[in-house]
Amino acid sequence: MQATAQKVSKSYTNTLANLFFKFFAFNFNTRPSLRKYLKGDDGWLNFTFGIKTESGSVEQALRFENGKVIVLKNMPSQTDAQLIFADENAVKEAATKPPNRLMLALMENRIVMHGNLGYLQLINFYLSLLLKHIHIAKLKKETKMENRNYNAGAASKKSIDSKKLRQIRAGSVDPGVRYLPEPYLSEYSLNDFPRLRDFLDIHLKTRPAICHERAEILTGWYRENGFETDKNGRPVIAELRQAQAFKFLMENRKPIIRKNDLIAGTNTTKEIGVIIYPDAHGTMIWGELLTAPYRPLNPYDVTPETVDVLHNKVFPFWLHRNFRQWVRDNKDYPLCQKLDERFAACFLWKTVALSHTILNYPEILKLGTKGIIAKIDREWGETPESEKQKLDTLRALKISLEGINAYAKKLSVEATRLAKQETDPDRKNELIHLADICRRVPENPCVTLDEAVNAMWIIWVGVHMENTNAGFSLGRLDQWLQPYFLADMEKIAGEEEKRKYIKHAVELIGCFYMRCTDHLPLIPDIGNYLFGGSSSDQAITLGGVTPDGEDAVNDMTYIFLKVTEMLSIRDPNVNARYNRERNSETYLKRLCEVNLNTTATPSIHNDEAVMASLAEFNYPAQHLRDWSATGCVEPTLSGRHIGHTNCMMFNMVAALEMALNNGWHPLMRWNLGPRTGDIESGDFQDYESFFNAFAAQLRFLADQTCEYNNLLGEAHQAIRPTPFISALIEGPIKSGRDVTKGGALYNSSGTACIGLADITDSLMAINKFVFEEKRVSFKELRNAVNTNFKNDPALLALIKNKAQLFGSGDHEALATANRVAKLAHDCFGEHTNYRGGKYTAGFWSMSNHVAFGTLTGALPSGRLAGKAFTPGLTPEAHASKSILDNIRDVARLDPKNLNNNIAFNVKVVPGAHETHQRIVENIYSYVKTYSDLGGMQMQLNVVSSKTLRDAMEHPENYQNLLVRISGYNAYFVTLNRDMQMELIERAEFGI
Amino acid sequence: MTKDETKTPFILEIKGNSLDDGPGIRSVVFYKGCPLSCVWCHNPESKKTAAEISFDAKLCIDCGACRDVCPEQALGQDNRFYIDRSKCTLCYLCVESCPSGALDRVGKAMTVNDIIERILPDKPFFDTSGGGTTLSGGEPTLYMEFTSRLLQSLKQHDIHTLLETCGFFDLNRFMDMLYPYLDTIYFDIKIIDSIAHKKYCGRPNEKILDNFSLISEKAKKDNKLLLPRIPLIPNITDTEANIRGIAAFLKGLNITEASLLAYNPLWHEKSDKIGVEDPYKKSKVMTSFPDSAISEKCRAIFAKAGITETNS
Repeated sequence: MQATAQKVSKSYTNTLANLFFKFFAFNFNTRPSLRKYLKGDDGWLNFTFGIKTESGSVEQALRFENGKVIVLKNMPSQTDAQLIFADENAVKEAATKPPNRLMLALMENRIVMHGNLGYLQLINFYLSLLLKHIHIAKLKKETKMENRNYNAGAASKKSIDSKKLRQIRAGSVDPGVRYLPEPYLSEYSLNDFPRLRDFLDIHLKTRPAICHERAEILTGWYRENGFETDKNGRPVIAELRQAQAFKFLMENRKPIIRKNDLIAGTNTTKEIGVIIYPDAHGTMIWGELLTAPYRPLNPYDVTPETVDVLHNKVFPFWLHRNFRQWVRDNKDYPLCQKLDERFAACFLWKTVALSHTILNYPEILKLGTKGIIAKIDREWGETPESEKQKLDTLRALKISLEGINAYAKKLSVEATRLAKQETDPDRKNELIHLADICRRVPENPCVTLDEAVNAMWIIWVGVHMENTNAGFSLGRLDQWLQPYFLADMEKIAGEEEKRKYIKHAVELIGCFYMRCTDHLPLIPDIGNYLFGGSSSDQAITLGGVTPDGEDAVNDMTYIFLKVTEMLSIRDPNVNARYNRERNSETYLKRLCEVNLNTTATPSIHNDEAVMASLAEFNYPAQHLRDWSATGCVEPTLSGRHIGHTNCMMFNMVAALEMALNNGWHPLMRWNLGPRTGDIESGDFQDYESFFNAFAAQLRFLADQTCEYNNLLGEAHQAIRPTPFISALIEGPIKSGRDVTKGGALYNSSGTACIGLADITDSLMAINKFVFEEKRVSFKELRNAVNTNFKNDPALLALIKNKAQLFGSGDHEALATANRVAKLAHDCFGEHTNYRGGKYTAGFWSMSNHVAFGTLTGALPSGRLAGKAFTPGLTPEAHASKSILDNIRDVARLDPKNLNNNIAFNVKVVPGAHETHQRIVENIYSYVKTYSDLGGMQMQLNVVSSKTLRDAMEHPENYQNLLVRISGYNAYFVTLNRDMQMELIERAEFGI
Repeated sequence: MTKDETKTPFILEIKGNSLDDGPGIRSVVFYKGCPLSCVWCHNPESKKTAAEISFDAKLCIDCGACRDVCPEQALGQDNRFYIDRSKCTLCYLCVESCPSGALDRVGKAMTVNDIIERILPDKPFFDTSGGGTTLSGGEPTLYMEFTSRLLQSLKQHDIHTLLETCGFFDLNRFMDMLYPYLDTIYFDIKIIDSIAHKKYCGRPNEKILDNFSLISEKAKKDNKLLLPRIPLIPNITDTEANIRGIAAFLKGLNITEASLLAYNPLWHEKSDKIGVEDPYKKSKVMTSFPDSAISEKCRAIFAKAGITETNS
């Protein structure tokens, strides 16, 4: 990738590029409608930008200086951003494609970027200003070709109308269920809740819009009050700055109560809003502001006002004040950062958020912010003045809580205002009730379920106003809300009144689910390829055991399951703990039935296996038993643990490719890793020596990614400490440290290691065919891999047909899978994060098994270049004709190596003639046996490939078709083509 | 020593996770070889007791490896079914050499222990689902001694056992050697008219019907499930006369439950693989899914005779 130093003659493409740059400069210099974008509210945007090819045959640069665009003769030694193209074709493609495609070319390593990503996005924005008509026409054509333009309103209605629930009744009543006469609540369907039906319709048909409210208010505050230094030039305490800005935001944002809602407050000003976090990855959308409404996948509405606010008032301020750029500026642009920005080996979520945790909700509901402030005050009183950092932190915590109280008060005033206007008497009463609730909570302790749910929601909005909406999770809501449900029920006399109240509780929780759909994470188009169709992944956890180890299943557990079933939405991401010792068969059957009826949720966890996986940390039993799933599936000890359980997506297969190529990574064209042996020179005499080479490459990549994660952690400490979250997690009040600085009681960082099955099968193939049976030399196999088996169909057939595969019941393959999992666990386990916690290894993949697959060549397992890896740690589709072999092998992976959980995806298709009862029984048998054998997590997709293919052709008939990707849920129709094909090609088992 | 005590069957397949061959999740052991030769047999490869070789044109990548190793020059794309079975000596060298799995052995000699070893890992699934092991084929009763040992071993492992049989066997030996170790018997009653039975199934049916009658008496006493199953083959078994006849026969034995098996036409490709011309290749009725009205009619006849439909 490094351009050679000697003089290379310039090409014809270079002349064209030069002409294009001149055309660009001429337009921006002469047309006022364009020239006005050369500045923001803080003045001219001055920077340099260059392009070149790897060979040097093209080299051009632009300087933006005080309102002038100048084409430079040569690339200056320092540019703010530059693009290095693999070859001239890549240059030509970039010139003609819309800006979102440019990012795809970066992902595919056709182009390599150096420097500040923000400036690249600014250039993209300029290009789209100049060429928007061409870009939009291209996107529209693409949308049409993929059948993605249809009437969302009609599709939504159709999908809701066509959903039919079949239900069995509960066989018994769990000891914790006190009031539900029939725990499965089989008498109810969505038709009993017109309010929820309307909300669901809005959710399915409304196109999300970018909301600039948060970004505008916060940026305004920082501009006024300073970021690095205050108005008087004194250095700023980051925690205090964040707390004051947060309070200002909460005091000044618009209090909104959605029409007809039982819960007050919103994350954005839009019906469904995309929140902008410019200190994280917010500027990534700069280049797409004009085209985002037209992109084929998950388009966003963007108003002209939003474009104006973001370009003029917001983005320029953050060009250097974001996590990535902080590391580049302060840590000398390290190798680990360059690696991350090449996409093929890892994706560090910490560039976006330090999230994936669960607040101490029971305490908030019980004490109110008032009670927590009292705790802070007590601690303050006991802290000597010499501990300035602690005192500052405590002050910040308190200020942020004052911020949330201010927002609740504003909601109360708004509810009163709406109540006055309201003509419908029922709704008027609801609004008066809401005004009362918001006047009391979250400041005061909650008394009723209505209060508890509204307090949860207001806090939830606060979380997203402070920190990026990626993977923050809700935790054990059935446990934490049950006391309020019981308290309400105890006050009610009469069966009919009780019945009515239970119905109200279902509706209230339904409203809460639908509230959770009011916001989406910002996904620039490249994200549609990396994490397609994902929402925030707000995980809710149900069931399991109480901190004391008793059966935790209760009334609210079944109420949540009913809501999950009726709404069948992608987010909240519902996870269920199943404890073999304590939980009933009735409960597990219900989980299976809900999974069947929703086609994809909940994800079912074997409680004992998850807890066993965390044994190495010696957590106290009471805390361990209180774990919740976070984001996708990962365990967090609720309320006291910053586990940032998805700090990175890690492509283990990159290490295999590097081991096959002596440290060279083919797609990145980069001599990256250690020299671990050359197949060409016969360096590997046996399987073990090759395994060691693979292990060395994996360790190298783990070292790099942990280093970058730690540097990004420092960036978070400087740019975005989170005092609000810190106030609501056990630890910071005592320790006097923000959670970004290790203030929580427990700390760790969780990784997602991707490609376990593909690596296992590849290693098995190498061992068997090269070393044991000597059917092929290592060199021949490697050459076949490098040429995508084009000239070796017989070898490919042999491998496909006779290899020992993980998931086939083969003991050696299982042992290899365990060995690779242990290697990953150990490589990460060696590292300590910037908060003093350990790294954990998980084996789930969101949708990155598809994205990383497209960035990976053929493998010795016979998987062809560009094909998706298997999701999570799911065995290869052809591993066995019997699902039981899959289940047994996955269940026998040692949980000790899986301490950030797993995603095991199974696609099952009910027989057309089977009864509902029998299908539930069959699913139950699989899940139960899997748990008995020690399996950790399982998620079923109950849908046939035939249906999925039809949904590709006719998305208008499948608006709400829910699928499990790997850890999260998505609507099938929102996925990119590669992800859709991956789902279709998954193994399919009849049930 | 009787004739079959030394005989070990070839096993076609042990299919895990079967949900259609009895209650719960089951493993099904398919035997090779059958005393009948029903023209519609869904598993044509299970008719002969001897081992065979199969060729699946869809899997073949035509790499030529098999042709290079065949000592008899029995292979070639010019042959009707690729393999010239008149030359083939079943040395299986070609199977070993075939990378794609297009060439394959049909039937594998397995010991009782081999089979048990394959089945045992799935036992936890049997236990949670109320499943077990089904012996099918082909015809397991062709190998009384072997099957008896297999059933005893399954029972020792506390596994639910089920036999699917065509009913053409020596009753005394069956009652001695198999019956005690069977939890459930699925017994096919195909055609009530013996001449028609001989025509379509290769043998008359008196022995089958007698066996059924006697077993049904005993099973009732022992509280063992004996389920008659009637395959609905278009124009052969699903005629009104035949169904009425079978219903009357069952009613005479006070049988109240039976299973009617819908015809599945998806077996036709299998003949080609073992080099047998499929006589029904061009028959529209035999290659398409049957009209559900006919099976409804058959069900009605059974219902009228007081026999309820049970899913097998």
